[in-house]
Amino acid sequence: MKKKIIAGILCAALGATMLAGCGESKEENNKELVLYTWEGLFPQEVLDSFEEETGIRIINSNFDSNETMFEKVQQADGGDYDVVIGDDYIIEQVVNADLAQELDKGKLDNYKNINPLYQSQFYDPENKYTIPHGAGIPLIVYDPEQVDIDIKGYADLWDESLEDQIATIASYRAVEGMVLLTMGKSMNEEDPEVIKEAGEKLKELAPNIRMIQDTNTQNALLNGEASVAILYTSQVIAALQENPDLEVVYPEEGLGFGIMNFFIPKNAPDTEEAYQFLNYILEPEVAAECFDFVGYYCTNKAADDLVNPDLVVPDSVTKGEIIQNVSTEAEEVYNQNWTEFKAACD
Amino acid sequence: MEKKRKKKPGLFLTVLPLYVFTICFVVGPLLYMIALSFATNGNGSDTIWRFTLDNYKKIGEPVYLESFVQSFQLAITSTVLIMLMGYPFGYFMAKLSEKGKKRMMLLIMIPFWTSSLIRMYGWIIILQAKGVLNGILMKLGLIQEPLKILYSYPAVVVGMVYALLPFMILSVYSSVEKMDWSLVEAARDLGAGRARAFFDVTLKLTLPGLLTGVILTFIPSMGLFFIADILGGNKIVLVGNVIQDQVTRGSNWPFAAALAVVLMILTSLMIWLYRKITHVKDLEGFF
Repeated sequence: MKKKIIAGILCAALGATMLAGCGESKEENNKELVLYTWEGLFPQEVLDSFEEETGIRIINSNFDSNETMFEKVQQADGGDYDVVIGDDYIIEQVVNADLAQELDKGKLDNYKNINPLYQSQFYDPENKYTIPHGAGIPLIVYDPEQVDIDIKGYADLWDESLEDQIATIASYRAVEGMVLLTMGKSMNEEDPEVIKEAGEKLKELAPNIRMIQDTNTQNALLNGEASVAILYTSQVIAALQENPDLEVVYPEEGLGFGIMNFFIPKNAPDTEEAYQFLNYILEPEVAAECFDFVGYYCTNKAADDLVNPDLVVPDSVTKGEIIQNVSTEAEEVYNQNWTEFKAACD
Repeated sequence: MEKKRKKKPGLFLTVLPLYVFTICFVVGPLLYMIALSFATNGNGSDTIWRFTLDNYKKIGEPVYLESFVQSFQLAITSTVLIMLMGYPFGYFMAKLSEKGKKRMMLLIMIPFWTSSLIRMYGWIIILQAKGVLNGILMKLGLIQEPLKILYSYPAVVVGMVYALLPFMILSVYSSVEKMDWSLVEAARDLGAGRARAFFDVTLKLTLPGLLTGVILTFIPSMGLFFIADILGGNKIVLVGNVIQDQVTRGSNWPFAAALAVVLMILTSLMIWLYRKITHVKDLEGFF
């Protein structure tokens, strides 16, 4: 008997919540915008002032991995969300699955502000679907007091004077990509022979390597263990905060990019609001605020003068490549190269 | 066996959970790993269940063979150092007063209250260029330039010895403490010198403890890849590191499984060999 009563109460509760849910969705006739982004991507002030300016209510939902985002957008068949962000490689899947809307650039007055360096990438060669928002770039950072040579590119890392001086991140594709760039090849080389050749060249770098580590690599540079370091963007910024005298090198051979991009899903319910929001984010002041907040490289040309200068790639850089998945055979060679390289470092 | 079970059916039920646990969490995963080591690696982290010996053939490549050699060298170096330090420590600790023993035990246990990972980071602070050790040495005028100790082989050995020394101390201690000292007295009465009495009686009686210590330090030191990562700056490639790499960034689980199987066979072989040499059948307090 008791059980039946409890079950009855639970059923009633369930029904009530369902009704409540219905009621809620009916009330939302006002203008709204559903964002689907990384947590902590926008400073709260930016979102608040958008709501104030336009009277559009922002509903900000977050994901913790690109794959989750893709799955959700796919399940909703490109509906539910109005503006979504994702990293380069997942955008390719989104575009291929026909889940992104072609952008009407006539509605985006600030579209011209985008730095073309970050456009026309593999996932969107004709820039039909995406708006870049922030880039991560592994770079060389060195302490000019301890280094005698002028480091201009990756090739300088092989210099004999740097023996036992280099700390590097442990992203094997990024590091091997740098070697490939010094050979004039693509970071996404597929030919096993060429990759092997790069592996041999990488091994010649071994005597100069002080340590290989993915987390807090900048500490090696800051505490004097190494005088040169290959660092992720967040680490470059952290290192410069601690020691502004460090020299950042934008290697002349080209850069490896990771780029975040906004897109509007195919069946977004509030397209007009989505354009309004994207246009707002592309305003130089707003963009600068965003990039200062997340600490990624500024992809908005017009915001370059406003943002933390450490987050601006100099004009001399004209080439950037994104690391993509390669075939299993190529992957295996990259992998073995890395193990051999580490063993050679000892 | 059958008779017994019939007499006390309850007894079997009491050990049943143990069997279930062992099958689920030891035998099962082990068989799965062995099966996996014969499978084919697919795209990304996929595994294709097609029989192949390629994973084992791949281990024959110089770079992977080298990692086994490295691992054994490091494990042997660490174990010998730990033995040289741990045996006297455990021996003299067992001879302390009751109060002294308790205090010493507490001091040995205290570091275990912190994660070993964090203790390794502690060593970074001691060993780094602008760290404590270099500071002291430079203050004393013994060196002019900071030594590059961190991210080197000796740093890894220091980490290994530090992490595993307590296991040796405790197993030697427990076996020395249980020893019948009258046997040593008898040897002395019969004319053996101090040294002879030690090597002929004490050492032989405490050998099981020493062996337990060796096994408890040798086996983990084959697998403590994070020490090589943190203190070695990732430059010393142990089998553990290769396995970790293959499971994570390499996404080649079958190869990782094959490496693990070979590692297991080699360690078992080492233990078997050690027992053959020392003629010790049982491991003190274990198995």
